[in-house]
Amino acid sequence: MTALEEPILPTSVAWGLLAAFSILWVALGAWLGRRNYTAADHMLAGRNVGLALASATAMATWVTANTTMTAPQLALELGVWGMLGYSLGALGLILFAPLARRIRELMPHGFTSGDFIRLRYGTFTWRVFLGVSLIYAFGWLISMAMAGGVLINALAGIDYRVGMTVILTVCVIYTLLGGLRAVIGTDFIQTVIIIGGAAFLAWMTIDRVGFEAIHFDLMEERPELLSLLFPAAIMFLFNNLLFGVGEIFHSNVWWSRAFAFGRNVGFRAYLLGGLLWLPIPIVAGFVALATPALGINVPAADMVGPLVAAEVLGLTGAIVVFIVVFAALASSLDSLLAATSDLVTRDIYRGHIHPQASQEAQLRATKVIVVLLGLLTWLAASYRGEVPVVGSLAALLYFTGAFVASAIWPIVAGLYWRRANPQAAAWAMLLGSGLGLASYFMIGWYVAALVGAAVSLVVMVAGTWLFPRPFDWDRLARDDHDAPAGRDTPEVAT
Amino acid sequence: MTIPVTALATIVIIATTVATLTPILLIALFIRDWKRGCLW
Repeated sequence: MTALEEPILPTSVAWGLLAAFSILWVALGAWLGRRNYTAADHMLAGRNVGLALASATAMATWVTANTTMTAPQLALELGVWGMLGYSLGALGLILFAPLARRIRELMPHGFTSGDFIRLRYGTFTWRVFLGVSLIYAFGWLISMAMAGGVLINALAGIDYRVGMTVILTVCVIYTLLGGLRAVIGTDFIQTVIIIGGAAFLAWMTIDRVGFEAIHFDLMEERPELLSLLFPAAIMFLFNNLLFGVGEIFHSNVWWSRAFAFGRNVGFRAYLLGGLLWLPIPIVAGFVALATPALGINVPAADMVGPLVAAEVLGLTGAIVVFIVVFAALASSLDSLLAATSDLVTRDIYRGHIHPQASQEAQLRATKVIVVLLGLLTWLAASYRGEVPVVGSLAALLYFTGAFVASAIWPIVAGLYWRRANPQAAAWAMLLGSGLGLASYFMIGWYVAALVGAAVSLVVMVAGTWLFPRPFDWDRLARDDHDAPAGRDTPEVAT
Repeated sequence: MTIPVTALATIVIIATTVATLTPILLIALFIRDWKRGCLW
């Protein structure tokens, strides 16, 4: 990502907005967390989140800075298929709806995705899964923190490290104070801000430029963006679909919500959240197609959204973009901090270091881990250097595609296929990630998830077909959600 | 094969309309859950 020559928002206005929203999020976090007495309260918001908050948190978490900034970039680079392909990311949420119901049924007292993998597949696969999951989680955390610093710098001229530090500190504080309850509560407000802001900018762009002018100027200057037979864009569409599904199916961000949503809420919340998320990349991305008609020179593709907003609406557009981006960053960073700290607490601290840890000890540990995660992320994001494999937010995002897509089939098979082989699940993730990464470097960023998912599917199906390992589903509910880890070799059903 | 202007406009208008109505729907659901005491 490249900074703009001139920030689109005065620094003093940006500081005022940062201060106002930071105070709001921290105050809300403290207020919402006042009744967190147990680890389940803190990590899972009491396990009874209703439909409104559940749907909003699913949407808010899935709308990241990547959505608000990369959707316009993809529309500018891949045209109509770019924004339509990005919107297919919604299928991840929609397809996770039945899984969320199944997860809640099989593990009514579960905490993390790691809990499930450990009980379902055993220690080896659990550790492979933790590797995949933590690589993805840290990658996403660091990229979000970096995106925060870069975007605040590009939009308002505030120093990269200062902006990154502010947004990360604010998210750490309110996640620490209120746990998942604070995350979900702030997500609701952030969802309304993000979607309302994106829709407002889209309507203003339509009103100012009009479809006829947008279409005419694109045909004159960039006709490939209107093509329905753009091979790289069509490949991207399928890759993005698998990438989105992989991200959601494996990540504890989504599993912790499945455990936290009230009984019978998970299915409806993920379905509704997915359906309402579907149009957001189109709304956010479409504005990029107006650049030829507006005569905008775009120095950095991933800054096209703010440029159009500033051109169409001036200072008001810059303020709207800044608030939307800040809300999008916070809604994803807080979710990642909470879900990753839960995963580290349950699966590393309790699973590997202190197996006898009580609920109280886990509550204390998860708070310490949130702070440590924040510090680690700050350190990594502070000393960003030249990252050889990534050139933009989109490329960074899809680098993790190989890892996440390789986890799709082990998760699905683990939830629905009684004979799924635990070793096959581990090798599906290892080989899928390896070959997916190889394809990322040898072919292109747009095929990493595609290859990772394909390899993983073949390994999972072949391994289970050759060496089936029947499993007793009742073991997931019966076996201790809260007892020490270690006695976790999957049982063969008799 | 190029997307016609009417198709592009239809897709964008539908998406923007849904996005505009989404905050209203979420707030309505929030009020319903709050009245029923099932917000959390």
